[in-house]
Amino acid sequence: MRTRLAIIIVGLGLLLSAGPALAHHAFAAEYDAKKPVKLTGTVTKLEWLNPHTWFYIDVKDDSGKVTNWGFEMGSPNILLRAGWTRNSMKPGDVVTVEGSRAKDGSNNANVKEVTLASTGQQLFGGSSQGQ
Amino acid sequence: MTFVTGAAKRLQVPVATMAMVLVMAGPAAAQWLNLPLPGTPRTPDGKPNLTAPAPRTPDGKPDLSGIWHAEAGRYLDNLAGEGVEVPMHPWAAALYKQRLESLGRDKPQLHCMPHGVPDAMLVSNIPFKIVQTPGELVVLYEEFNMYRQIFTDGRSLPKDPNPTWYGYSIGKWEGNTFVVETAGFKEGTWLDNGGHPHTDALHLTERFRRPNFGSLEMEVAIDDSKAYPKAWKSVTIHFKLLPDTELLEHLCENEKDAVHLNGK
Repeated sequence: MRTRLAIIIVGLGLLLSAGPALAHHAFAAEYDAKKPVKLTGTVTKLEWLNPHTWFYIDVKDDSGKVTNWGFEMGSPNILLRAGWTRNSMKPGDVVTVEGSRAKDGSNNANVKEVTLASTGQQLFGGSSQGQ
Repeated sequence: MTFVTGAAKRLQVPVATMAMVLVMAGPAAAQWLNLPLPGTPRTPDGKPNLTAPAPRTPDGKPDLSGIWHAEAGRYLDNLAGEGVEVPMHPWAAALYKQRLESLGRDKPQLHCMPHGVPDAMLVSNIPFKIVQTPGELVVLYEEFNMYRQIFTDGRSLPKDPNPTWYGYSIGKWEGNTFVVETAGFKEGTWLDNGGHPHTDALHLTERFRRPNFGSLEMEVAIDDSKAYPKAWKSVTIHFKLLPDTELLEHLCENEKDAVHLNGK
């Protein structure tokens, strides 16, 4: 139990240190914090790239029409420090994503949080919002 | 799990978040993200003691070595401090205004080009490592795997050097303050996240102090007569130590990312 608590505290430290906004990104130039999106769909592709990780999901609307959405997260290292691993999310996984939509109205958004449907696990998206 | 709930309450973090961290902590340890390092002073319960005295090198100077990251703050946007307007020559003022109005759309780092000095140290969430050796202090920036060398062997700055992104740096100790002079810059980097510009006439003086094991502070004086009629100084910038961890490789693959740069 002691070891587990220590892990939690260290993990929490990493999580909190990942909290503040990134200076890296021109969030405000690309995304609109006033256009929140929350979408559930199936992961189709992941790109662990610097400076930003991207993934894509197929979202089905009420009429059955499928739309592919792209989501930007922080750099792979920011995600690793926030608790992600390269196996946290795979194509075929069902996820719910909360974030801010692209200003140009495209089906892209900047991620605040990802929830994995299979486990209920929530992962911080390394959002650069706030800059 | 009573313990976990108690900790979560004390820290005012939802239990769900704690559970998530718990789930992740295992794999993370395999990445050198979290490993006890022998040089870390500890409190009786084994946690890093960040308020312990700063370490010193055998010659008695403070040792600035460690992995650091900037505390989030408005100075990330404006080195002079929030709301402070630095007097600029008209061309520089116009360029700075354009950078602010376009919300940082043309930031060099969005195209894998380097952050400026000192901006490369100000990317919160992306740390840098200082390795202090006799004769040289090396700064390893995690972002883009970049580095700076600050020579402390008594050499002078080069005369008429080939301009470079990070310039040429020499350092010396004034008591417990490490003073770094840098010149020989290539134009094009931003001094801060807001985009204060500079020219090849830029001469920087950074002053570093390590008040304790877990803290590093720096002020920088900016002297660039082609961009600014008068030299000016930054606010004090605070860095926090990331104990018991290592840098991670970070190479920029922006060519693949660039297609996503939508915005206006």
